Amino acid sequence: MPATRKIEVGEPVHIATYWQLVWRQFRQHRLALIGGIIFLFLIFFTLLGPYFVPYEYEDMNFMAIFAPPLTEGHPLGTNELGQDVLIRVMHGGRISLLVGFVAAGLSVSIGTIIGLLSGFFGGKVDRVLMRLVDVMLSIPMFPVLLTLTLVFGSGLRNVIIVLALFGWMGVARLVRGTTLSLRETEYVQAATALGARSVGIIIRHIFPNVLPIIIVSATLNISFAILAESSLSYLGLGIQPPVPSWGNMLQNSLNYMLGTAHGVSPWWLTFFPGFFIFLTVLNINFLGDGLRDALDPKVMKK
Amino acid sequence: MRNMKKYLARRLLEVIPILLFISILIFVILNAMPGDPLLQMRMENPRAFAGDPEALDRLRAHYGLDQPVYVRYGVWLQNMLQGDLGYSSAYRVPVLSLLQSRIPNTLILTVTAWLIGLVLALPIGIYSALKKYSPFDFMATGFAFVGISLPHFWFALMAIIIFSVHLGWLPISGMSTYGITGTWEIFWDRARHLVLPACILGFVQVAYWVRYIRTALIEVMNMDYIRTAYSKGITRKKVIFKHALKNALIPIITILALDIPYFFGGAVIVETVFSWPGMGRLMYQAVLASDHNLAINCLIFLALVTLMSNLLADILYAFVDPRIRYN
Repeated sequence: MPATRKIEVGEPVHIATYWQLVWRQFRQHRLALIGGIIFLFLIFFTLLGPYFVPYEYEDMNFMAIFAPPLTEGHPLGTNELGQDVLIRVMHGGRISLLVGFVAAGLSVSIGTIIGLLSGFFGGKVDRVLMRLVDVMLSIPMFPVLLTLTLVFGSGLRNVIIVLALFGWMGVARLVRGTTLSLRETEYVQAATALGARSVGIIIRHIFPNVLPIIIVSATLNISFAILAESSLSYLGLGIQPPVPSWGNMLQNSLNYMLGTAHGVSPWWLTFFPGFFIFLTVLNINFLGDGLRDALDPKVMKK
Repeated sequence: MRNMKKYLARRLLEVIPILLFISILIFVILNAMPGDPLLQMRMENPRAFAGDPEALDRLRAHYGLDQPVYVRYGVWLQNMLQGDLGYSSAYRVPVLSLLQSRIPNTLILTVTAWLIGLVLALPIGIYSALKKYSPFDFMATGFAFVGISLPHFWFALMAIIIFSVHLGWLPISGMSTYGITGTWEIFWDRARHLVLPACILGFVQVAYWVRYIRTALIEVMNMDYIRTAYSKGITRKKVIFKHALKNALIPIITILALDIPYFFGGAVIVETVFSWPGMGRLMYQAVLASDHNLAINCLIFLALVTLMSNLLADILYAFVDPRIRYN
């Protein structure tokens, strides 16, 4: 197709919408596209994978303990109880992704609401909320998470609560900043002058414009939540066995890392769960990076 | 200079209310924690409590644990200000002496890690920015992504498996080997123990810093005054070192100070994995043993480190950037 072309009278002209522009931009970010595809693959791998493996995650086989990877029937080997590592990795992935999505969803929602309120109303509300953010950010995150899991107790639901309670500050700051500048735009002032209510303005005019930031934060929050959950489970404060999670599989592997009674070090028990954490987080980060570029109207070409 | 002193004093004063607020927050959270230290005591030493049902209440009154939370907080704060950090129920020694013995170990680890991070990130980030979109830049950006996505503890475990278990080059854990004598030998032994934990703690930060330094320098390189400098016929070398780097250093120095707390936070995991006898591992053990007082003090220490790093970043920022006035 030539670069320029005369448009005939009456010919329908296709004007790309914002989201079409975003997609066009995103597609060009090769790494982000690959990241997104691998991430989708990982989701299907954990959700549908178990239906293709002829074991359950709790099935034991004492005839095949510590089978190394590529053993027949156990492509990723088995653990000290002869449980298949592949199926456990799949189930662990379900937990990790569940924690990631739910915790990120919650923390981003909290952050968005606080950021919108703080930025839109300003004044005292803003000062109090932002002070809270400052204080919560001024204690290193991980030690606080550690303490909080003990307050709330371990287990799936509590880990999600703790991660949500301590993951919203970054989002709140970003949303507040954008809201502050949006509040001064002419269309928002026009809406105010026309007598629109605050809630209406926030929902109809401001929220759609902070959405790109929210989406990027959400992807990065998912990777943060997955990393944090695995660290907590690794310390024995997160998801409790026998339900496998990537973190507690690593915790369990510690017992055999230096060698077993058979004299071998079953490295695959340590390698695979961590590798999947790494793979998931890496691809979410690629995806987030691409989304950041694609969603930013300033970077948008043409 | 007088302004600088005033500014410093004001910033230091600002730290106090924040620290107070944090201490209240932490105190309340820790008191909401399940796990009663006295019940723990009875469990560990049932014979001392046998046949004396009132012993528990007496001890509760003796330790002031029957008082409401705010009274306990007041007493605790008063003692704290007098330098009495209380007693660790898990270790049965004063908290202050525990901290005194552990903080240096953590400092050795974090300072080494910080230096490793700096020595690696600075040249890589600068070179990456100057050779934007070159193969080196792509590699560096790729490594940065990998570093950001690596779980600390898995990285540490794999390093132990490879370097300690399979190759046998480095010790598996701990800080020193028992029974080694001679200055040089002790130093060598300590260094060997330090290599893995410090490298892992440092590498993770390198990933963040490389990206940050690269962006900071690229931003400066796009400035008008850099173009002006070039157009005046100044050599590339001079433009980079005299104009670009000097200006890019302002945000870089700030981030180097601001990120200090991350080393202490990361130390919790790294020290636990390597059984490094520092603050991080102490805190983990305090939380596991529901040793409230010890855990509070550890968290407050970490908060103090964070606040001081922020302050340091502000001061450095004002110091390296003459445009900033302290008022």
